[in-house]
Amino acid sequence: MVTVRFAGNKVMLLKRIVALEGEQVEFRSGKLMVEGKELEEPYVRLPCHWNLPPRQVDQGCVYVVGDNRSLPMETHHFGQTSVKRIVGVPLW
Amino acid sequence: MVRIKTILIAVLVVILGILAATYLLESEEKKVKKQFDLLSKWVSKDLGESPITMASKARNIGTLFAESCELKVPVDSISATYTPAEVSGYALHGRLQFSEMSLKFYDLTVEFPEKGTAQVVLTANLKGRSMNGELIDETLEVQCVLNKIDQKWLFSAFEVVEVLEK
Repeated sequence: MVTVRFAGNKVMLLKRIVALEGEQVEFRSGKLMVEGKELEEPYVRLPCHWNLPPRQVDQGCVYVVGDNRSLPMETHHFGQTSVKRIVGVPLW
Repeated sequence: MVRIKTILIAVLVVILGILAATYLLESEEKKVKKQFDLLSKWVSKDLGESPITMASKARNIGTLFAESCELKVPVDSISATYTPAEVSGYALHGRLQFSEMSLKFYDLTVEFPEKGTAQVVLTANLKGRSMNGELIDETLEVQCVLNKIDQKWLFSAFEVVEVLEK
């Protein structure tokens, strides 16, 4: 889990890094696929039905997603972000 | 003795120059920030706002913009330029969709890359209630450019920073 600086110095998002630069990531019927293999995600407890075509993570970036995926994909903040936006990790 | 006096005067002139430059830059920064205060004031809407106030605020919003203002919202594939009259029109139309709304700006970082140009990075928060009762609370990071035209800092570009790209 990491904190992503979303806006200014105060607005942070808590997300999980699921793919690194150069890796291919996609959602297939709610399953997160990294490099074509399904990622085991026991922390995702609510049903998810997202579909997103494969994309490669750009250089200097990581792909982050939150755990609450029951929301429609359009309203959930997730995706590729610059590593410069990662500002910390939770303390506990 | 004369030499020491000359050095002291030179040092004093340099210090005064630095102070003057700092003061002028600070005062320009204040003027830039004031434009955001005005934008926030005129975009915001109280419950039961009268049509006269609404029209007046929409017209005032247009006065803050340069002859051509570029708007970019990469996440929605929006890239367009607007005139002040168009900005006023869209502001009026947009405000009509809300019974009340507030626009606030935080964490403003102002830089002057060249004379007459200000680049500002900020956090914008829009809160409101639509006419059908839906609550809106959106926060975004925005990069803005203002140009000094006829002694006034006017908005010439807005770009919403795409922090997360699906």
